[in-house]
Amino acid sequence: MSVLLADVMVGVFSTTMALSPFYLFAGLGEIVAEKSGVVNLGIEGIALMSLLTTFVVDFATGNPWLGLLAALGAAGIIGAFFAFLAVRMRLDQIVLGIAVYLFGLGMSFVIYNALYVCSTCSAPPQFVNISHIYIPILSDIPVLGPVLFQQNILVYFSLLLVVGVAYFLDRTSYGLRVRAVGENPKAADNMGVNVNKVRFLATLAGAILAGLAGVYFSFAFVQSFQFDIIAGRGFVALAIIYLANWGPYKTLFAALSFNIVYATQSEIVSISSIALAGSSQLFNMLPYVYLLALIPLLGRRARPPKFLLKAYRKG
Amino acid sequence: MTVYNAIAIALGIIAGLSLVAYAGGNIEVALSTLFLNPLTTTFGLQQIFVRFVVFYTMAMGIGIALKAGLWNIGAQGQLIVGMIMVFVAYTYLGFLAGPALYVTMILLATIGGLLWIVVPTVLKVKFGANEIVVTLLLNVVASNFGYYMLNGPIKSPGAIGYPYSITLPLQYRIPNIVGTFPLTYAVPVTVVIGLILYFLVERTPFRVKANTVGESAETARYAGIGIGRVMVITMLASGALAGFAGATYQMGFLYHVDAGVFVYNLGFIAVIAALVGRKHMIGIGIASLFFGYITIGAESMATQTNVPTSVVFAMEGIMMIGVLLGTYLTERREAK
Repeated sequence: MSVLLADVMVGVFSTTMALSPFYLFAGLGEIVAEKSGVVNLGIEGIALMSLLTTFVVDFATGNPWLGLLAALGAAGIIGAFFAFLAVRMRLDQIVLGIAVYLFGLGMSFVIYNALYVCSTCSAPPQFVNISHIYIPILSDIPVLGPVLFQQNILVYFSLLLVVGVAYFLDRTSYGLRVRAVGENPKAADNMGVNVNKVRFLATLAGAILAGLAGVYFSFAFVQSFQFDIIAGRGFVALAIIYLANWGPYKTLFAALSFNIVYATQSEIVSISSIALAGSSQLFNMLPYVYLLALIPLLGRRARPPKFLLKAYRKG
Repeated sequence: MTVYNAIAIALGIIAGLSLVAYAGGNIEVALSTLFLNPLTTTFGLQQIFVRFVVFYTMAMGIGIALKAGLWNIGAQGQLIVGMIMVFVAYTYLGFLAGPALYVTMILLATIGGLLWIVVPTVLKVKFGANEIVVTLLLNVVASNFGYYMLNGPIKSPGAIGYPYSITLPLQYRIPNIVGTFPLTYAVPVTVVIGLILYFLVERTPFRVKANTVGESAETARYAGIGIGRVMVITMLASGALAGFAGATYQMGFLYHVDAGVFVYNLGFIAVIAALVGRKHMIGIGIASLFFGYITIGAESMATQTNVPTSVVFAMEGIMMIGVLLGTYLTERREAK
């Protein structure tokens, strides 16, 4: 029993470690954008398009790092377009976000289908993943070893990014400008800050990080592409940063705790699949219900940027 | 609808057609199926009105909440719960039988949708939680709930592997208005609901109240409007309408649930219909009819040209951006 329990624990914690970076990249990016006053509901669509781009380039060149670069480029293009429409043209951010989501959802699969699916092809193509880094010695430690020291390099990067974004927002003058244009654009403008330029760049940065989330997803989990492969996780990232009150460190905790619940339920479901017989979907609801249950506890303290969703017009 | 919106939608259609061409579909077939199939075939016409009913019912609810400044992005979840509840009533309250069961099925669907929005409403009014985040999360919960119900309580005994629900027998379906022509009473009923809501929402002091709450909580407080009350009423109405849409969709057309209905997000399109109709109960109706036509056209185009149906999502995304731009340009012209 104790051996089984240890296995389950390793399973839960390594799944948690493996899943969290997606929410960290997408969430941290969205924090930067939302701190500046712009909500991007389309991060899921952007992540899907970058995931596909990684796939295409990786498959064509055999080099996952080229895939990563191309994917960030694709996310940047969509992000710049979104930011231009939301910030410069002051279009409704929510509808724009849904539009980007639907676009990415449909477009990614249409392109995939046109490139790789045909009646004479056999299996869908698989692509080259970057391998996990095994830190010598440390990764041999029981339980902790596989959890902490046998991960994809982007996992370590996502943890660094938490510190990076926190430092950027709280300790640098650029970060101060981002917060200023989200809290009080008028005052920021009077201080000589170019409000819409800062918002544009913050939104763009957020979109590129959403793209990185998509790339990570492809590196970490999937060998081939499917329709709706991210399955709403981009939207969960939005809920996570809300519960984390737009704080990078709190986002790390929120993402980890959400994934612990998620990983625990999926371990339970996979171990006792026969005993559960068809009610596994009820367990699948648990992580989301967990997030919802946190809202009355943490949501009261959540204080969004004052000018969130409000476009700024000079003068 | 303005000139700009028309141009925007045309651009969306052109973009969709280019996607079809890119994916190797025949453009001539695409064009004719997109525009003509829905209008020239009985099945197409039926589908347009089925979609009209679903979009209109949901979009009215979304529009009502929007008047009070609230985003119900979770109409999809409420619709799913509504559809499931139809079968819950049918399976567990079968002893009622006849008209009593018929009414109960519709009622339970409506209540299901309403209950599904209680959580976001309470969290919004009591805790100030963002309703967009909560309604989005509940969409994910709703489809998981749907899968669970589909795999167990409402599963058809004949379903092996791919699960689907029992099929509603004839007497629990919404009948056609004339003979075998597949236009059901759901259509006139929805139009009547639209008119009633038009008078309730647009022609009473409620409109001013809701708008005030939507535009500025401070003004509303100053004017002595019960902000919480307005929020609760609009949100609950929104959820109930989406649940009701689940009932008419099932009893008027689908008659059974499978996993496909969880994936195809009709709720998002209803959000767009509410906006294109400028949150006005009649405008929303016209927009819903249009979106019924265009989504059915796009879907049959995808099938006929062997392009994945997801091309429709891409087209919708492009069209939505176009409509936003169109509205922007219209407003700028009006401002001059």
